[in-house]
Amino acid sequence: MELITELQEIVGTNRVTAEPSELYCYSSDASQVRGTPDYVVRPKNTEQVSRILKLANKYGIAVTPRGAGTGLAGGAVALSGGVVLDLSGMNRILEVDIGNLQVAVEPGVVHAKLNEALNPHGFFFPPDPGSSAMCTLGGLIANRGSGMRSVKYGTIKNYVLDLEVVMAEGTVINTGSRTLKSSAGYDLNALMVGSEGTLGIITKALLKIHPLPKSRSLLLASFEGAEMAGKAVVRVLAGGIIPSACEILDRTTIEVLNAYDPNVALPDSDTIILFEVDGTKSGVQEEAEMVKSICKPFASSISIAADEQERNEIWTARRLVGAAISRLDPKMTRVYVGEDIGVPIKEIPNMLKRLRLISQKFDTQIMTYGHIGDGNLHTGMCIDVLDEKQWELLNRAADEIHRTAIMLGGTVSAEHGIGSARAEYMRLERGPALNVMAAIKHALDPKGILNPGKLGI
Amino acid sequence: MLESDIRSILKCVRCGACRSVCPVFEEVGWESAGARGRMLVAQGISQGLEVGSGVLESLNTCTTCGLCRQMCPSGADPTGVVESLRHELVSQGKMTDSQAKLHKKIISSSNSLGDVSDKKKWLGERITEVRKTAEYVYFVGCLGAYRYPETAALTFDVLKQFDVTVLPDEVCCGSPLIRTGFDADDLIAHNMEQIRKVGAHTVITSCAGCYNTLKNDYPAGFDVIHVSEFLSEHLSELELKRLDLTVTYHDGCHLGRCNGVFDAPCEVIKAICDIKEMTTNRENARCCGGGGGVRSGYPDLSLALAKKRLAEVPEGVDYVVTSCPLCLKNLTEAGSDTDVIDLVELVALAMQNL
Repeated sequence: MELITELQEIVGTNRVTAEPSELYCYSSDASQVRGTPDYVVRPKNTEQVSRILKLANKYGIAVTPRGAGTGLAGGAVALSGGVVLDLSGMNRILEVDIGNLQVAVEPGVVHAKLNEALNPHGFFFPPDPGSSAMCTLGGLIANRGSGMRSVKYGTIKNYVLDLEVVMAEGTVINTGSRTLKSSAGYDLNALMVGSEGTLGIITKALLKIHPLPKSRSLLLASFEGAEMAGKAVVRVLAGGIIPSACEILDRTTIEVLNAYDPNVALPDSDTIILFEVDGTKSGVQEEAEMVKSICKPFASSISIAADEQERNEIWTARRLVGAAISRLDPKMTRVYVGEDIGVPIKEIPNMLKRLRLISQKFDTQIMTYGHIGDGNLHTGMCIDVLDEKQWELLNRAADEIHRTAIMLGGTVSAEHGIGSARAEYMRLERGPALNVMAAIKHALDPKGILNPGKLGI
Repeated sequence: MLESDIRSILKCVRCGACRSVCPVFEEVGWESAGARGRMLVAQGISQGLEVGSGVLESLNTCTTCGLCRQMCPSGADPTGVVESLRHELVSQGKMTDSQAKLHKKIISSSNSLGDVSDKKKWLGERITEVRKTAEYVYFVGCLGAYRYPETAALTFDVLKQFDVTVLPDEVCCGSPLIRTGFDADDLIAHNMEQIRKVGAHTVITSCAGCYNTLKNDYPAGFDVIHVSEFLSEHLSELELKRLDLTVTYHDGCHLGRCNGVFDAPCEVIKAICDIKEMTTNRENARCCGGGGGVRSGYPDLSLALAKKRLAEVPEGVDYVVTSCPLCLKNLTEAGSDTDVIDLVELVALAMQNL
């Protein structure tokens, strides 16, 4: 029997395709990585995923799981043909269990939809990626994503209580439990979070949720230079204040945000840090005042967003700024490379300085924005993608950005994942730990069918 | 492929922001049925992807609602690329059977419904009230003339107190042809000649598709306004009585999002009764599923999209009001629990002297 027929028997004829135009659509994510699958399958439930993996394992066919395909490192791109498993149709919120402070979701639930569902209960799911409106929770978990609120609330790994995972040979396991803590054996939640589909396919997740803060305040502090801003951030954190978000916007980012949504009207300055504090009303007021007084010696001006509407407008625009930079010039397009470094907090001013030097060295404008409060800087580079010389400079700049981050004790990916786009840096960053990863991979997926070619293993 | 299309395709960073709003993708679920997928298909064509049934289906299931273009952070224009590619493929003879049939029907009958009967039949005895020349001309549209003759007559009755007439021989505006990739030069030339004959400086339409086409695809030479805009400018002269009703308003994509006519219909409604907004409205209004050739090419998909729009109708409204007969037809046929009416029907209910 042909493989497509066997796949059709599992999921039905309308949920498998080998149509060339469809395969083309599934041959990329938002990175520069390309790879065309032989089939795309859209399973509806765990049982179907299990049967597909049994089949793939039997024939030694590669299986690449995919959510919304918004990844920035090629994690969802099939490098060895085979099957792309599009899990975005498994998108039900199965249970909102406020009493147990948790929700059960399928992997295809879009991040923002979960928060829409939680809001009426007075709860929220704190990890807050810029791609909230489009990325799926499965992808967020598989890439150990986080976002703007991780400085205070941590990353997705802090919220996973249990995962239902289909292993390479089709067995279904649960990696955790419904309890908020457990000491029962190896932490398999932690193993699966960030495994990028190389160890198993996540088909369900039990996630911890958090009460919405009673109050929030957003301060906009302007600085004459990124390094000055970096120093202010280090002082605020060392001063005992953990903001609920701490974002850096450089001059280009400010221009892009103002162009994208004129209502945002950010002050014209070299660098802005957005400090958000949350908590009780009085606590928020007190912390906002403290942030203000700590920043004062460094900042050229400090203002506070007037109300929730202004805060929302700024955050909405900020979330989309990564792509919106393409609007600055009709011939320029944002290319996501070298865009997700993380460094220890104290190295932020140093990294910002080095980014400026890299920008000069390669004659490439580097927009810098991101979660400066947790050391995660996003660098945005735009080129005319029809110009090969610009591609070369871009890739050389990205390479130097990655190596510099590692040299400063940082990481090539703080939240977007490794995929294949950053695989070459894994040995440099992780050293012999990469061998341990490879051993785990081999033990759990001896035939190497799960998302081959990723993570540098 | 046009350089502007290639540039637009290259603008797409595949972030997927459009994927989360494309109504067709939400219904179909395959990447190729979403705005990002269509941009990829377009890129594929530019790189030699063979144009088979998958490509045609990807490009032709777009309702051209423009939501992706409106919200694309990168400034790409998937809607424009889709329309442009449909045109390019049709010029190479690459089209679906449904496209070919639609083309044949319109070319042979000069209207989008293939109706060979008198297009002015809806006027009935009003034919004697039609002036030969006027400042304004009411462009009735194919759906108005053949499917909603009573609404067309009401519109004429409301407008006739002003210096408004109809064209002696109106043909299809060309919208269905242009949206599905064909040229409509002959239809446009015919209507242009008619407008010149009447001497009108402004064409009034009551259909979002006609409005969009007359405004953006016709040569310059006259203004185009929607009947809601005309009525909102003449509210004081209409002698409207207040009605004890609450209605909601469906923004037709080609009138609202694509051309910015949001306020006029709501101003007219607010002059008559209370209005409660749908879950999405104005720039973010969900498409009814009728446009872009989807209604004729993929009727099941079209009705499924309409059902999703109907799910956004708020509780406790007496009518769903719209300003486009195609939206009205699609929403009605999708089984709306609440009656769907044209804005002019609401105006007629409130006009004391009609």
